[in-house]
Amino acid sequence: MKFLNTITVLTLSRNLAFAVFLGLALAACDSEVSNTEEDVVALTFSSQADAGASAFATNCAACHGANLEGTTLGPILSGFNFLQRWGSQTPTLLLGNIKANMPPGGAGTLTDDDYLDIVAHLLEANGVDAVVNALTASTDFVISENISSVVQRQQRAEPPAPQGVTVAGNVDDFVPFVPITDAMLENPDPADWPMHRRNYYAHSYSPLDEINTDNVGSLSLEWVWNMHEGDSEPAPLVYNGIIYLINPGNVVQALDGKSGELIWENWAGPANRQDMRNIAIYDDKIIQATTDARLIALDARTGEQVWETIVADSSKGFSNSSGPIVADGKVILGLAGCARYIPEDCYISAYDANNGELKWQFETIAEMGQPGGDTWGGLDDVFRAGGETWITGSYDPDLKLTYWGTAQQKPWVPVSRHMTIFDVGLYTNSTVAVNTDSGELDWYFQHVPAEALDLDEVFERVLVNRGDDKLVFSLGKYGILWKNDRVSGQFKGYTETVFQNAFTNINAETGEVTYRQDIQNAQLNEWTSACPSSAGGKDWHSMTYHEPSGTMIAPLSQTCLENAAREVALVQGGGGLAASRKFFEMPGTDGNLGKVGAYNVDTMEEVWSHQQRASLHTGTISTAGDLVFVGDLDRRFKALDVHTGEVLWQTRLGTAVQGHPVSFAIDGKQYIAVTSANGGTSPRTVPSVIATEIKYPSRGNAIYVFSLPE
Amino acid sequence: MKLGHKAFSLFFTTILLFTSIAQAQTETYRARLSPMPTTPQTVSTILGEGEVILTLNGNTLTVQGQFEGMSSVATMAHIHNGPPAQPGPVVYQLEIADATSGEVSASLELSDIHVEALRANELYVQIHSETNAPGELRGWIFERQ
Repeated sequence: MKFLNTITVLTLSRNLAFAVFLGLALAACDSEVSNTEEDVVALTFSSQADAGASAFATNCAACHGANLEGTTLGPILSGFNFLQRWGSQTPTLLLGNIKANMPPGGAGTLTDDDYLDIVAHLLEANGVDAVVNALTASTDFVISENISSVVQRQQRAEPPAPQGVTVAGNVDDFVPFVPITDAMLENPDPADWPMHRRNYYAHSYSPLDEINTDNVGSLSLEWVWNMHEGDSEPAPLVYNGIIYLINPGNVVQALDGKSGELIWENWAGPANRQDMRNIAIYDDKIIQATTDARLIALDARTGEQVWETIVADSSKGFSNSSGPIVADGKVILGLAGCARYIPEDCYISAYDANNGELKWQFETIAEMGQPGGDTWGGLDDVFRAGGETWITGSYDPDLKLTYWGTAQQKPWVPVSRHMTIFDVGLYTNSTVAVNTDSGELDWYFQHVPAEALDLDEVFERVLVNRGDDKLVFSLGKYGILWKNDRVSGQFKGYTETVFQNAFTNINAETGEVTYRQDIQNAQLNEWTSACPSSAGGKDWHSMTYHEPSGTMIAPLSQTCLENAAREVALVQGGGGLAASRKFFEMPGTDGNLGKVGAYNVDTMEEVWSHQQRASLHTGTISTAGDLVFVGDLDRRFKALDVHTGEVLWQTRLGTAVQGHPVSFAIDGKQYIAVTSANGGTSPRTVPSVIATEIKYPSRGNAIYVFSLPE
Repeated sequence: MKLGHKAFSLFFTTILLFTSIAQAQTETYRARLSPMPTTPQTVSTILGEGEVILTLNGNTLTVQGQFEGMSSVATMAHIHNGPPAQPGPVVYQLEIADATSGEVSASLELSDIHVEALRANELYVQIHSETNAPGELRGWIFERQ
């Protein structure tokens, strides 16, 4: 057991306070110079925890419960769940996580002492009983090793978290496995959904039409499978009747699509409750990114690990929340967690699908001396942050280009970045077209330069051919549907899908945006009110392109925010996001947070919209049966007419419908699958404080599969 | 009798015409009241909802609405001048019940500038309460569909 020694330690800030106190005392009475630290009430872990209980009640209990029991707004912070997430970590890492993320919309708003006290409260409430010393910002003991009950349990040889294959089986026992080729990915079998958006163009469209507008009213539940709990926004893959499903905590499962029977399961670790949106299949491998920025290939037949490679150093904050796309034998992956002031920047990288060998990296931040390096206001390279690629890109096999959205600069507001609205910060908040052979940038288009409200343009790029035009569409948090030529990047048009008041002008010829004056000039700690909010416009929930009707159909969100920038020191190792936020209903929407909008890709005009109180939490998919499927926070999974938006069928699931629906066929029979899930960051936080009347269980991750009755 | 019938028809037609003109001059607007900007920390203390119907006849704006479920009793209600989702200054005072639920009303003579602001969706209703002095409910005014 690693119990700490008992030397009293004061935190730095309290040392300063003590010094001031001591100085005043000395000035007041020269004869009383015998004051020592012992005369001052010494700071202890226990006193910090007492103070932390109060700070927690004020700032955290609304979401996490007064007794850390968790609510629908925030996870449980006690017992097994807390230990599973934080038991092997240190107070320093816990402190850093809380400071960076809490309270939602106001991270960093508490004092350093408040944050430290809250950490002490969490530790004490979870049984940390072997600590006397006050916590500091660098306390680095292992939390579980200072909980005597846990130590005793560990001495009884409690089994570690699962690792590797936990359920053994072989896909060949269900259906003969056929390795998947580039040609099969370029032109998927109608029965399959073999990548996150089904095809390289990211259409999220199924050519199956057995389920259609005439019979969708009879759609019935075929089977359901409970998934591991945790944050989850999954996009299942379906190949040759087998569903490959990413669960929270980096767990992949193979399920028989017909019966729902589990074939194999692999735990790649870390065994946390964190989210991974999608995986890939290529040849005979399932390829997954992990939340700690590794890339792993599993045998698609058995789930056994084939190779593993490190994408980035997770100890520096790098992570992944979305998986790869495999293009021409290369596994192409983005990167997240790039808000810190460190020498390393975010990148898109490519790996050999056969062995995981690194092929190339493309950095999304232009450094000094590089093309675009003069767009960062002269900041030293170490202070250039952001540009995450946290949503998987798309691919044009003919042009050999992969298309990705990039996130905005960090921190969120120019004044926090020590920059101005004119320091555009290439290649953030852009579409980047990268050559898949070389990793070189072919072109870029920066949709919102010098982003100022945490409204990034990082989401999926949908590739569309109209006549001779090769186009790329994207839709970011500003709710603007952008159309660009995907050969050159040239701007081709836009439409506003929800109300926005951040820009006073969008140039119809160039797409150049002009921020409202008060947003341009936003100063530290000044509130700016704007629409949409950080939940989008549109967020990670992908849109679908229904080629037969030439319409783009998007899941949209209608909320607004007030945003106030906070100061961020230019200190290596620092950085972060640094803004406080409040949220409210979007004026003129009659309180409808959710909107499915359909847009003609030629005219860019809205064809129809379906609006509802509950926010939407799945991507949209469309089918040759002229249907659109979408799910919402109020547990409803719906089928809409692709031509009118009329709701033709709906059902309610166990908890919020969240993830990416898919459609597939086995033995000629069509199925629709969708997940229910929790977590989901801003798109969940914002509706949870605006539409408080909508209730849903805080557990219930599952995949539901529907079909027509025999 | 014939003359009498014609006279009655003429009189009735005239009444209808004036009624139509009067209706044509009347514009109806609506504000949905919902909680002021909030966070997970304040969501349990900024509460309530409501609806206000506003009728414009000439420059006269008749305001009639209800609210309910606020966290504490209402103290003031105003019409503010600001485009959608951009707060602005108070331009008119409204009468409001001294309660957590009740009615809000007024009969106001708008300036020409504020009539234009109303038609441009640049006016909003805001209700203040004891525990949320800066405001607890708010709603921009739009033409009633």
